[in-house]
Amino acid sequence: MVAVSDPILEVDGVEKYFGGITALDGASFDVESGITGLIGPNGAGKSTMFDCITGFRDPDGGSVWFRGEDVTGDSPSAVANRGVVRTFQIPHELPEMTVRENLALAPRDQRGESLVASWARGDGYYEDEQRAQRRAVEAAERFEISHVLDTPAGELSGGQRKLLELARALLTEPDLVLLDEPLAGVNPTLEERILDHIQTLAAEGYSFLFIEHDIDVIMEHCQEVIVMHQGRVLMRGEPEAVRTDDRVVDAYLGGDAE
Amino acid sequence: MALADFLVSLLTVVSVYTLFGLGLNIKYGFTGLVDFGHVLYFMTGAYVTVVVTLPVAATSYEGIGGFALPQLLSGVPLGGLLAWFVAIFVAMVVAALLSLLVGVPTLRLREDYLAITALGIATILHTVVNDERWLFNGPFGVRDVHQPLAEAFPVSLGSFLVNLAVFGLVSVLVLAYIGYRVGDYVYGVDLRAAAMAAAAAVLVVAGLGAAALGGALVLGGVLVAVAGVVVLARGIGRADGFGRPLALFTALVFVAWHFGTPFFTAGPSGVLASAVWLFDPTAGADGGFTYGRFVLLVAVSFVAVAYWWCERTVNSPYGRVLRSIREDEDVPEALGKRTFRYKVQSMMFGSALAAAAGGLWATHIAFIDPTQFIADITFFAFTAVIIGGAANNRGVVVGTAVFWTLHTGTRFLNDYFPTEYATQLAALRVMLIGVLLMVILYYRSEGLLGEQTYDTGVAAEEGGRSE
Repeated sequence: MVAVSDPILEVDGVEKYFGGITALDGASFDVESGITGLIGPNGAGKSTMFDCITGFRDPDGGSVWFRGEDVTGDSPSAVANRGVVRTFQIPHELPEMTVRENLALAPRDQRGESLVASWARGDGYYEDEQRAQRRAVEAAERFEISHVLDTPAGELSGGQRKLLELARALLTEPDLVLLDEPLAGVNPTLEERILDHIQTLAAEGYSFLFIEHDIDVIMEHCQEVIVMHQGRVLMRGEPEAVRTDDRVVDAYLGGDAE
Repeated sequence: MALADFLVSLLTVVSVYTLFGLGLNIKYGFTGLVDFGHVLYFMTGAYVTVVVTLPVAATSYEGIGGFALPQLLSGVPLGGLLAWFVAIFVAMVVAALLSLLVGVPTLRLREDYLAITALGIATILHTVVNDERWLFNGPFGVRDVHQPLAEAFPVSLGSFLVNLAVFGLVSVLVLAYIGYRVGDYVYGVDLRAAAMAAAAAVLVVAGLGAAALGGALVLGGVLVAVAGVVVLARGIGRADGFGRPLALFTALVFVAWHFGTPFFTAGPSGVLASAVWLFDPTAGADGGFTYGRFVLLVAVSFVAVAYWWCERTVNSPYGRVLRSIREDEDVPEALGKRTFRYKVQSMMFGSALAAAAGGLWATHIAFIDPTQFIADITFFAFTAVIIGGAANNRGVVVGTAVFWTLHTGTRFLNDYFPTEYATQLAALRVMLIGVLLMVILYYRSEGLLGEQTYDTGVAAEEGGRSE
């Protein structure tokens, strides 16, 4: 596929059906570097789209390309290892494990993650694990959860869970982070902090695709907005163009988009 | 049978099932795989070990095998033992491969479906082994189990007195070491709780002792014993934790049972026999170290190695991934870990340990048939793991000891009731364990020890090695 400005992620006509229900009806869009918002009314297929991109669901049709390579139908771990990592709408902390362990789990390609290496503990095992531990602490400091490092993640507050989830995703050193409603159920102060983090990280070169409902947040923080409606992409454009588009307004107000 | 022999046999059984439980703990405790077919690998281990070492013409055996490995290696020094180790190794590999075959289709299922499917496969294969005589002799079982070095036992060091001195000294040292560890643990217990634990031990021992005399004393004795349990429960309620009073109580009851019972039946010589439990005065001309005791040592060594091995596995980044799968499989998968592969490896490792336990079991029991490998064994192991605390290797040891002591140790109760009640008593013993499980799940759902702590070998703060 040849794209105009070298998109990171290309979604091409993805379809997904659940029984008789059409969740995704040939949705196509490109994601370029920077921060891209994905909006749409409830049931538009945003989370299903995330699942199809990250391999948690196999699309029934269409294809997903990441940096020019076809990743359609790859397993979630394979997609993650190419550099696309996701968070979940409901935070998926590992409740019985400490925050430290939650974070130390994340770095990719740790030597000690192989069964035989965990027995043999040969060259690089300890250095590698030290690096993972150090990075876990750094990430906790950056996201201001270092005071709960040794707390089981199940005991964290809702906001801390969101931060943990974001920190953990970034420890995999991804190219593109898919955030599924990172601001849902978060108080305004924390919302600002999370958005600051995203802005700073974007300036460092990470790209984001995130699902959000608050149009003001989208306006302020996104370079591009993709609007989904009834399993299709309604439009894609700059925030200002999206806000004033009649079709988008209709979709959100429940009117007929066509 | 002297009390010491019973103790040796019980400890061997506990060791074998601890090894079995360690395998289950890798699957269930650390990875969250509910493998209701775990006994399949125990059976596999037992049969493979036996068949590989079976002589060509075994007594009334019509199944496959008779690979006669010990005879093949008879030219090698200690060939019989070497053949046995090779057989155990082969059994572990076969069980691991079998669990790979079972795991590849079933591990894609969610946990409850995995449990049912694993149980189904284990039941099918158990039925096949039971019904197909050409395979492993079917319901008639396998005799002529190879027992390595059996011909060298009982070991005698010359004279009765030398035997008594040497083996007795070792026995006493073992008891002293265990006593020291228990004392060290109990030390510092709240005095009132300690007194209540001691009183509870006296009541329980006296009550059971009175009940054992039979007749009208049975009911009164049982009531006194129950009162003892109530006192213990109150004592535990007063202490900071339940561990120390419970350990004290257990130790006192053990001492009363192990030394008190023989005193009443055989006098001071009975006490001596219990103290030098590793020495069997009736073995051979001068007494000595019996084969059963040797098997116990082998089993304990196996448990020690497996324990170390499991600890090393779970205290690593690998173990961290296993636990993350147990917590929420989507997370490690989203972070780029190939969780399916980890689950398969966990199955294979746990199954290999179960197979080693099976091989040991066959060697201990010297005759195997399909009735020894029914699904109950899996559920006994689950019970033991849950009593001790899932995801805790030490908890497996404690839980298995509690379970099998209650299960087997209460068998002597049969002696005090008319024989026609034997079946009912057997059922009652299982019910007793069920009650214990319920009490533990109600008051302490994480099990006696709870989940263990982890250390990947790197001190978290300093970034240095913590070993």
